[in-house]
Amino acid sequence: MRFKEFYASRVRNSALLFGVVPVGTAFGRWISKLIALPQLRKLTGGEVPWTPLRKPLAESTVALVSTGGVHLRKDRPFNLNGDPTFRIIPKNSLASDMAISHQAYDRTDALKDINLVFPIERLRELEAEHVIGRLADDHYGFGLMGSAKALMPAIKEVARRISESGVDLVLLVPA
Amino acid sequence: MGLLAREIEALGVTTVGLALVKEVAVAAHAPRFLYLHWPFGHALGEPGNVAQQRTVLHDMLSMAVSAPRPELVIELPYRWRREKYAPVVDWKYPSEALVSALSSQNTAQLATEPTHETTPGGATVPDEARDRHFG
Repeated sequence: MRFKEFYASRVRNSALLFGVVPVGTAFGRWISKLIALPQLRKLTGGEVPWTPLRKPLAESTVALVSTGGVHLRKDRPFNLNGDPTFRIIPKNSLASDMAISHQAYDRTDALKDINLVFPIERLRELEAEHVIGRLADDHYGFGLMGSAKALMPAIKEVARRISESGVDLVLLVPA
Repeated sequence: MGLLAREIEALGVTTVGLALVKEVAVAAHAPRFLYLHWPFGHALGEPGNVAQQRTVLHDMLSMAVSAPRPELVIELPYRWRREKYAPVVDWKYPSEALVSALSSQNTAQLATEPTHETTPGGATVPDEARDRHFG
C-alpha cells in the first residue's frame, strides 16, 4: 500500500518515459543526448547564422519561444508522444489561461509557476520597466517531438512569423 | 531548440537560448546559448523566485547584446538551490555573471591559440558591446 501511494505520487508528479517509467533529470539528459545528437549532426551543417542585435534593448521587440509544452488551455493540447506543431500564446495571456502538455519532464513546479518554462510575466514586467522596448504580440509553444526533421516545417513557419512581425530578439526556453 | 534558434537567426532576428543539456547545446551550433546545470522544467529556476528568474533573464539579455561571435555556449555559475539572488540593480549594464564568463572564455581561447598575437590591455568585447547597446 505504501509503495503504491509512493509510486502513484511519483508517476503523477514526475517525468515519464514511454508514458510509464518515471525518470529523473540525469536520465533525461542521457536520453535527450541519445535522441538529439545524431540528428543535430545531420541538420546543423554549414555556416552558423548570425544576426547581432540591431537596436538597444530598450527599443527592441522581444518574443518568447518555449519547448516546454506550453499552450493556451482553450487550444488543442500537444500529443504527448510527439507533436510536430506549434501553438501561439498572445502576450497578455494569464498563467491561469495556460496549460502544459508534455510528459518528458517533471511539471510540478512549472504548473505552480509557468515562468519556469515560459517567463511571460517576467517579460511583461521588463516591458513595463522599459528594460525592453516592447513585448511581441505573439509568443510560441512547442511540445515534445523526437524527430527534428518532422518538426522542421513548424520551425520554419514560426521563424517566418517572427521575422515578419518585426521582432528583434527571441528568447528560447527549453522543457 | 538549437534548430529553432538557427532558423530564426537566419531570417535576421537575434536569438538567445537557455540550455539544460550542455552537449546538445554545443552540438546544435546555434548562435547564442546559456547553459545551466539545473533540472528539467526549471530553466528559469525555482517557482516563485522572482529575483532568480530576473537574474537569468538579465543574463539572456546581456548575452543578446554582448556575445562576440556565434556558437558560444556560456555556462552560468549558479548552483541549483544553493544560491541567494539579489535583485538586479541596473539593467542598463550587462550582468556580472555574463561579463566574467565571456572574459574567461576570451582568456581560454587565447590560451589555446598560441599563434595569435595578444594585445596587452586590449578592450574585451563586452566593454565595447556595453557602449553600443546598453543605456
